[in-house]
Amino acid sequence: MEEAPQATFGNGRSEANMSSFAVLKLEYGACVEALGEALRSEDESAFFAAVDHIVHMREPGMITELRKLTGDLQQALERFSIESRLADIAENDIPDARARLTHVIRMTDEAAHRTLDLVEQSGPLAERTSREASVLLESLAAFRDRAPGTQGFEGVVRAVDAYAPIVRSMEAFLPSARADSELIRKNLAEVLLAQGYQDLTGQIIRSVMKLVGELESALSNLAQLSGDVVEHASMGGESGAGHGPVVPGVTRGEVASGQTDVDALLSGLGM
Amino acid sequence: MSKDLKFLVVDDFSTMRRIIKNLLHDLGYPNVAEADDGKTALPMLQAGSYDFLITDWNMPGMPGLDLIKAVRADTKLAKMPVLMLTAEAKREQIIEAAQAGVNGYVIKPFTAETLKEKLDKILGPGK
Repeated sequence: MEEAPQATFGNGRSEANMSSFAVLKLEYGACVEALGEALRSEDESAFFAAVDHIVHMREPGMITELRKLTGDLQQALERFSIESRLADIAENDIPDARARLTHVIRMTDEAAHRTLDLVEQSGPLAERTSREASVLLESLAAFRDRAPGTQGFEGVVRAVDAYAPIVRSMEAFLPSARADSELIRKNLAEVLLAQGYQDLTGQIIRSVMKLVGELESALSNLAQLSGDVVEHASMGGESGAGHGPVVPGVTRGEVASGQTDVDALLSGLGM
Repeated sequence: MSKDLKFLVVDDFSTMRRIIKNLLHDLGYPNVAEADDGKTALPMLQAGSYDFLITDWNMPGMPGLDLIKAVRADTKLAKMPVLMLTAEAKREQIIEAAQAGVNGYVIKPFTAETLKEKLDKILGPGK
């Protein structure tokens, strides 16, 4: 491999040319020899390795450029596919998600109001039953207090006379108590049914979460392609506006875990 | 028992206003008015003779914290008892509310007992 660079040619080349050719000979000699050897020994892989080596020596920048160009093309295609999906999300899926979430608010609102209606309707019914039962109990107690004084036939007659209005009150009370209790029972069953909104809204929210996940991955892929650093957007950053309910795994910073924490913090502040 | 106290409940969700109104009713305070944000509540407070303010924090228009600051800055309303009833539970927010001058802070979801306890504490014995 280490041939002497002093080979001379009688074709009138200058000494400088000769020495630059000597350099070429140094650079390529071994490769050409390896190529010749591969041809002689019919070694295909050695042959192509030698050819590749020579090509690489001749055009060192070309392969890098080609590689870069291919990479750019691939990136452009990827970006195109991400951007068209993003456009689709922005045009169709986001308005759709907004409509779904509006529907969730409407459903929860209706369910809460239905429940509150039933509670408000049942409260007075229970109160009335309780109040009328108390009046009856008081009458019964008053009757019993007088009862020991009833002796003889006249006493029994007096006792029956005194008891008669209590019986009449009971006759009036029992049907209304039964009707009120039945209505309360019916209202409670409706309260139970009204809670079905949780299942329905949960499913809608889950579908929106799926879209948000897709949007997140498309945006982060795009950011990676652009090589930009995406700053984390925080919700409710405006001063005084609040952040909304604590969402486990999303809300950052120190959060009170319950009323006890709040009370401890405030008493620490002297409240 | 001064159960004729006049309350103003401020929350952007009508369901939450109804819940608070019902709870106050059960606690023996039937005199309750409602507003859906600070912007609506402030003129009501300035015009009416309210004795107690219960407000949410996170509301469109004027948030509860701004309402409390406005109430404390108004000489006529400055001494009004204020209870904040909110889902905001960050430590710095609770401190911020305390500095703005709330008399009590209850986080949602809350119980009827917590509300009663805070009202009793703010209004003092016999109220």
